[in-house]
Amino acid sequence: VSSQQFSALTEVLFRFLTEPKEVERFLTQLSDFATMNKISLGPLKNIVKSILLVPNGALKRNLSSEQVRADFIALGLSEEKASYFAEQWKVNSPTLTRLAVGQTLMINQLVDMEWKFGVTAGSSELEKVGSIFLQLKLVIKKGSQTENVYMELTLPQFYSFLHEMERVKTSLESFS
Amino acid sequence: QLVSALHNLTRHVVYRGLTRAEDILSLFPENFHQNLKNLLTKIILENISAWRNEAQASQISLPRLVDMDWRVDIKTSSDSISRMAVPTCLLQLKIQEDVALCGNSPVVSALTVELSKETLDTMLEGLGRIRDQLSAVANK
Repeated sequence: VSSQQFSALTEVLFRFLTEPKEVERFLTQLSDFATMNKISLGPLKNIVKSILLVPNGALKRNLSSEQVRADFIALGLSEEKASYFAEQWKVNSPTLTRLAVGQTLMINQLVDMEWKFGVTAGSSELEKVGSIFLQLKLVIKKGSQTENVYMELTLPQFYSFLHEMERVKTSLESFS
Repeated sequence: QLVSALHNLTRHVVYRGLTRAEDILSLFPENFHQNLKNLLTKIILENISAWRNEAQASQISLPRLVDMDWRVDIKTSSDSISRMAVPTCLLQLKIQEDVALCGNSPVVSALTVELSKETLDTMLEGLGRIRDQLSAVANK
């Protein structure tokens, strides 16, 4: 495989890694590459599979680009190609890391929040009420489904909720 | 019959939100015993705010927030990355189901929600907007 073809292939690989949902596009690009360079698709797919193992393992173990380069050389790739790949790795690793962190397990993740507030005008017990209430709807991801949670807060509760959330923000910021 | 009449009287007073002695006194019929009328009015006036508060507390409503707790964790590793330091927040909300439906034994459920820093920032933005809207309404 010439170095030009190799760089083209690496580009295709990294584009897939940074957008793992674009499987269709990746497969199309692979078969285009195969036809352009007169390589049969089957063996190409196998090679690509083994190549993809390297960045995934590197990500898991937080390898630096030097280590990635050394890994590839150990696997029998020429120095030039390994350096090229390592360079690409350095450029793409922040995105890839962010993606991996984004996939980390989250329990009951809050996905959305809606609210409305209004005034209670009257009730069966009291003819004129005039008290303000706040209604919150939280959308929570439980496993693969979302669940809606509705609740009401009085004004003092709302202000102390806001205060507590601001404290959480300060705490989170001090750790980043 | 007496108890029922008294009950109706107090409910009426609370419902209408009568707070002045004259209003309550005017509810009694013409030839009602004077001292009894005054005594009843006095007792009703003393209790009226407590009754109003209780009526409001037991109104029908959506489930109510009764308590909240939070903690901040730092995620250090996962199956896709072996080393990281990502702070995350766990929020526990204690929610009480509609009081009117539960009668004397309200059901309180605890909901634990996890928020990333981005989610928290968005949430705070939303809460800030609520606060601004509330002040706008209060100032009208």
